[in-house]
Amino acid sequence: MRSAQPTSPPAAPQPVVATVRAPAKFRLRLTQLLADKPVIWALAGRDLKSRYKQSALGPAWVVFQPLALLVAFTIGFHSVAHVRTEGVPYSLFALTGLVVWTYFQAVTMSAVGSLVNNYPLVRWTACPRIAMPLATLMSNLPSFAIPAAAALIAAGATGYLTIQALLLPFLFVWLVFLVAAVAIFMSAITVRARDVLSVTPFLLQVMLFLSPVGYGTSQLSPVLRAVISINPLTGLIDAWRWSLLGIKPSTTAVVISLSLTSIGIVSAWRLFRSLEVLMADDI
Amino acid sequence: MTSETIDQDRIEPAVAAQRLSKTYRLGELLRLEATIRTVVRRGTERPLLEALRNVSFEAYTGECFGIVGGNGSGKSTLLQILAGITPPTSGTMTVRGSVLPMLAVGAGFHNELTGRENSFLYGTILGLDRQVIESKLADIATFAELERHFDTPLKRYSVGMQSRLCFAIAMLFPANVYCFDEVLAVVDGEFKDRCLAEVRALATRGAAVFFISHDLEQVGRLCDRVMWLQNGESREIGDAESVLERYSRHVTGVAAK
Repeated sequence: MRSAQPTSPPAAPQPVVATVRAPAKFRLRLTQLLADKPVIWALAGRDLKSRYKQSALGPAWVVFQPLALLVAFTIGFHSVAHVRTEGVPYSLFALTGLVVWTYFQAVTMSAVGSLVNNYPLVRWTACPRIAMPLATLMSNLPSFAIPAAAALIAAGATGYLTIQALLLPFLFVWLVFLVAAVAIFMSAITVRARDVLSVTPFLLQVMLFLSPVGYGTSQLSPVLRAVISINPLTGLIDAWRWSLLGIKPSTTAVVISLSLTSIGIVSAWRLFRSLEVLMADDI
Repeated sequence: MTSETIDQDRIEPAVAAQRLSKTYRLGELLRLEATIRTVVRRGTERPLLEALRNVSFEAYTGECFGIVGGNGSGKSTLLQILAGITPPTSGTMTVRGSVLPMLAVGAGFHNELTGRENSFLYGTILGLDRQVIESKLADIATFAELERHFDTPLKRYSVGMQSRLCFAIAMLFPANVYCFDEVLAVVDGEFKDRCLAEVRALATRGAAVFFISHDLEQVGRLCDRVMWLQNGESREIGDAESVLERYSRHVTGVAAK
């Protein structure tokens, strides 16, 4: 026989805790998120490792995606539509918007299918379900970090950076919460209704035009401005532009976005909690 | 008295199920036709299926508990409840300690990751500490006889190799209750014998082992007691030999009709 046989007893040495499996409406708790941290990281690591395997350019795609959008915006909004940018160079203006957008889009795209693509894990293991959408927040961090670093360096080099930049960590947390709300909400719905998978790419396209990524809100008519402000991304992008470039944000948009982010994360969590129990059966 | 408390500990079942039931709805969860029916208010209720009905049993540490029954008799549902994957519709099940479920070959494995990376991921999902996992990785490779392939992506593995990896993980990661659902079907003879010996050893070392298989000879060699499930109900629980004998007579009787 081989020497690989376990020498220690398989039973875990720590005291044996009895758990009861019983009918339940909810079982997910906020405190459990801490215990789930290693799983979230492991799934994120798996997604990162597998994303660019057997790919010629690999991680370089994280740079190309925002870069291509930046070039397209510069042609479309700047050269063709002559969008005004409060005196800030257009590419820097658009790049700041892309910091928010690229991360939002990347997470949404991978979070939507995060549960259904992990069908075997959901169906055959007790892997915490919430770890799957949350892992996409981690595995897509490069899509945030690269445009953010570029914008920070560019804003610093051109002399736009002021003391307001100290608020960036808070704006990052705000961005993560907004994106987490979308990720948790969409992934949970997809388990029951695959329609979300078909709707997401199209929804993202519409969102890109209805968010002030490539343009600013200051030159819009009051009605249009109010409409665009309902989009939670508007206030967030405004806040990023204020923090990095000193462009005055629309207070209404910021307040709306902050409220929608808070409402969004709470309701997404509640929805996920109620659907989580039967995910293995519904998927 | 000390001796009594020890005895008490010993007779505390590792898994105890009380009147466990699980109901599913048949058919598809959502589709366009049903949506239209709902909109025009001609909804049709989807029929219910009782996958488990009032199942009660107790299984103890050191014992190998077999479950037999036809397709759709509720065997896998029972282990899904045991592993905490899905809750019962009614009834309770008390589980003492951690559960390691091996309910499908390669569940939790990712094709693009290597054998080593997959083992690590699996251990993490089981909730094991990093150091515990790392200390077992070399043994997993040796047990699965995959030393040369341990850093090759899983998509290059044959089904048998994946199954070996799966089994090695189950053998080496610590737990109090182990569940095996028909995972030995695709491994070759010599490895299969070794696995059966190791499953037996898990129980001897103080774990409770649940074992589902359609290979009755395997169940007979391995299990101390067997539960026979029929249409979601526990038809018989008893020592392996007698239950298996009546079950196989039932199966051949049905086939003869």
